[in-house]
Amino acid sequence: MAIKASVLADDSLLSRLDRGLYRLETMFGLVSGLSVFALMILAVYSVGGRNILNSPVRGYVDWIEITMPLIAIMAVSYAQRDGVHIRMDILVSRLRGRWLWIAEFVTTLLVLLLVLLLIWGSWAHFQRSFDFAAPLWSRDSTIDIKLPIWPAKLVVPLAFSVLALRLVLQLWAYGRAILLGTDNPVAVPLIEDAATIAAREAEAVTGREDT
Amino acid sequence: METIDIGIIVSLGLLVMVVLGMRVAFAAAMAGLVGLIWIFWAKKGYDPAQFGWALTVATKTAGQVPHSKVASQALSLIPTFILIGYLAYYAGLTKALFEAAKRWIAWVPGGLAVATVFATAGFAAVSGASVATSAVFARIAIPEMVENGYNKKFAAGVVAAAGTLASLIPPSAILVIYAIIVEQDVGKLLLAGFIPGAFSALVYTLIIVGIAMIWKRVGPPIGGFTWKERFVSLPPALPIVAVVVIIIFFVYNPFGDAWGTPTEGGAIGAFIVFLMAVYRGMRWVELKSALLETAKLTVMIFTIIWGVLIYVRFLGFADLPGAFADWITSLHMSPMLILICILLAYAVLGMFMDAIGMLLLTLPVVYPAVMALNGGETVSAADSAFGMSGTMCAIWFGILVVKMAEFCLITPPIGLNCFVVAGVRPDLSVQDVFRGVAPFFVADAVTIALLVAFPGIVLWLPSLAG
Amino acid sequence: GATEWNVSVWGKRRAFTEHIEKLAELVSEKTGGSFTMNISYGGLSKNTENLDGISIGAFEMAQFCAGYHADKNPSITVLELPFLGVSTLEEEWKVSQAVYEHPATAADLARWNATLLMPSPLPQYNIAGVGEPPRTLKDFDGLTVRATGGIGEALSLIGAVPTSVTSEEARQALDSGIVKSIAFAPHAHMSFGVMEVAKWWSDNLNPGTVNCPVVVNTDALNALSDAERDALLGSVDEAMEYYIDFYENQTMKKWWPLLEEKGVERISYNEERLAEFREKAAGPVAAKWIEDNTARGLPAQELYDLVISTLGR
Ligand code: NA
Ligand code: NA
Repeated sequence: MAIKASVLADDSLLSRLDRGLYRLETMFGLVSGLSVFALMILAVYSVGGRNILNSPVRGYVDWIEITMPLIAIMAVSYAQRDGVHIRMDILVSRLRGRWLWIAEFVTTLLVLLLVLLLIWGSWAHFQRSFDFAAPLWSRDSTIDIKLPIWPAKLVVPLAFSVLALRLVLQLWAYGRAILLGTDNPVAVPLIEDAATIAAREAEAVTGREDT
Repeated sequence: METIDIGIIVSLGLLVMVVLGMRVAFAAAMAGLVGLIWIFWAKKGYDPAQFGWALTVATKTAGQVPHSKVASQALSLIPTFILIGYLAYYAGLTKALFEAAKRWIAWVPGGLAVATVFATAGFAAVSGASVATSAVFARIAIPEMVENGYNKKFAAGVVAAAGTLASLIPPSAILVIYAIIVEQDVGKLLLAGFIPGAFSALVYTLIIVGIAMIWKRVGPPIGGFTWKERFVSLPPALPIVAVVVIIIFFVYNPFGDAWGTPTEGGAIGAFIVFLMAVYRGMRWVELKSALLETAKLTVMIFTIIWGVLIYVRFLGFADLPGAFADWITSLHMSPMLILICILLAYAVLGMFMDAIGMLLLTLPVVYPAVMALNGGETVSAADSAFGMSGTMCAIWFGILVVKMAEFCLITPPIGLNCFVVAGVRPDLSVQDVFRGVAPFFVADAVTIALLVAFPGIVLWLPSLAG
Repeated sequence: GATEWNVSVWGKRRAFTEHIEKLAELVSEKTGGSFTMNISYGGLSKNTENLDGISIGAFEMAQFCAGYHADKNPSITVLELPFLGVSTLEEEWKVSQAVYEHPATAADLARWNATLLMPSPLPQYNIAGVGEPPRTLKDFDGLTVRATGGIGEALSLIGAVPTSVTSEEARQALDSGIVKSIAFAPHAHMSFGVMEVAKWWSDNLNPGTVNCPVVVNTDALNALSDAERDALLGSVDEAMEYYIDFYENQTMKKWWPLLEEKGVERISYNEERLAEFREKAAGPVAAKWIEDNTARGLPAQELYDLVISTLGR
């Protein structure tokens, strides 16, 4: 179940930046995981309140809606670093050397372009819900207990900005690989054949099962 | 240019980006964004001075989607079900389950294989992910089978096939995603997966017993477990049963009102398994990795969701789903024949694509067409083409495509479950596993045919739920 | 040249959207087909984000409900205060129009680049639900109810727990136990499938209604030719009359027999108790509304007085 592609490291500035950013991304991942845990606790509390104490939690749905962006989007760059986002690599996995890095460079550049636009769009979405002059700075609120929505909307451009940094690092790494013609660039997830990935996934799952 | 032409061209562009190896989520979002820009610019007659306006409106429209679509109470089901799977595994529940199944069932011909199917079905009832299920059981069940004289390829095939049950038997991430795209009741869909999942397990069992009876050396029966040994094996597996029962009662309570939402059921289940895992020695280090893995898998699924929904928003502006539905209903073919063609198309597509990506990319267009084929969302059973109401058709089609997606996990050339099994067992090649899984290939084809021919298998349980 | 407007609504075609359908028909007729409206049920936006879409300029016309997001449109939430005592759809139309025309309201919506076109008047909401019916007002204690805006506020004063989802998710919330009951107008109870499962109906609670205007993008409105703008604005009254007639003579005609046919228990509350409830809810909720919205810089008292005086009370 553990998914993680191999990312090589060395002493270069690029690799150090990669690992530095990875620490931030891991923190974002942990925030996301803890939010799932919090959601679980909230549901247990809500069910208990409703069925045992006959006092349902006010704003249960509101809290879920506020938490979901943390769960669903916060770790987007963490997953990009580890090569988790799925793709069809039948074609790419047949490429070797420079051709491979050129292909990766081009698709990564497209993704960076997309993400920059989405930062703009999601920032605008946040801005429409935010107003310094309003109480709680809120210009958009949840339906029942009227929680301000802007913090949840702000999560998106924030997570996308980290993703943009990650993409810039990956472009740098692929660009360097194109110039140097290396087979083993640092700071990017390396393509492996499906069986290798599967083996590592399986090992990660079952490794602990035995202990 | 008609908006429909724009829709078709952009969709082809999406296909090209996916084939070129762009991550599916980003390719879909990109296609959606470009499509929106195109449509807005076309509205202004491609006036160069208006391009900036089109870019702004399209970007702001797309930029709403990630927040607005994930901030939903229905989707909160997905992370909860993922968490429960990781916790169940840290609590060591899987191994206990297999041990119990083995002691009770191994005496029949092919008994260890049948036990594997049963234990997998049990694990499927707390896990939402097929590939993970196969990986776990490849490690636990294959060595036992091989030690007891089972044919190695056959053993591998059993595990690869049985793993697919996880996405049909609730909880299932794929069914939740289907429910979200087509805007149907999540609880009812999960409920609907139950019998087809059990039915698939039964068909697998029959095939196993049949093969083991014909070729005696493939899977000999194993006896010798005393009744005491059998009963002793039950308590460690009990938490799984408790969790399964709880989730079922949250989705559908045969004796009255459901206890809550499926999300809440999943959360209570996860909480129980969490307590179990803590009792079994899980501490912060293990919990942290469970949470990080949950986060990673969750964000992967949600990135596809918002990415594809940007594309779907574009399709809405291009009105492509409506046009495709009109085209399908104008064909002079029997609705059943068209449905079968659609399922066959999924079989071909599924050879090369992963399940979630495939459903997300195709459903926005295919689902309205299937609904139109049946006579519309609000059609009554009597007036419909397939003899079922619109709501029931949505459920039936959902189970069919999910079963198709699962089928694709074991078909060559890209059958992820087979890769996983081969990966765990270095002594088995992928070809070996594909050979071993071939009988189940037939079993799945039979199951799908029966689900198409007798929709009652799918619809009986949800129709009870009102 | 030809003008085509995209209109974002949600759900399926129902009494609630008939004025928009009628308006599209009239406008197309009056302009000889050169000004058309393409009405999309959910394809263009999520219903809680229709105002965002208008503000962006993604579509030209949209419908939304004030209670979905009070902070986006505080001015018109005055129309959702409980127990205002509106008794007919005409009254609801009149009072909505009065508030829409107030400069503070226009300015509130102008932040979204939106111009208010017409309301979607709804009769008094009442509650349909499953499980044990609340036969007295006391029984509302701990009852989960999907009720937005002022209706939710009022019900929470007698102990109910407002737990809201959008109208499309309401039936699912009822099925899965998120809520035990739903406050809707009759057409919505029918259109969103609530009546397929409901066991009881709060016959005379009449706590209030919600306000769901139809707005247009101001730039798009200004960009229309004079003939097109006249066709649009000149058709509003006819579309509204059609809507009200449709609601009263088609929707409500189906409603009462439906309750009968489904065996839904109609629960009438003691008039005296109801009067107490009104006393308890109407005054304090309105006072709180005025206080909160004065704080955000709205002439809240003036808007509230406008409502009361328009209703002639
Ligand atoms: Na499952
Ligand atoms: Na396949």
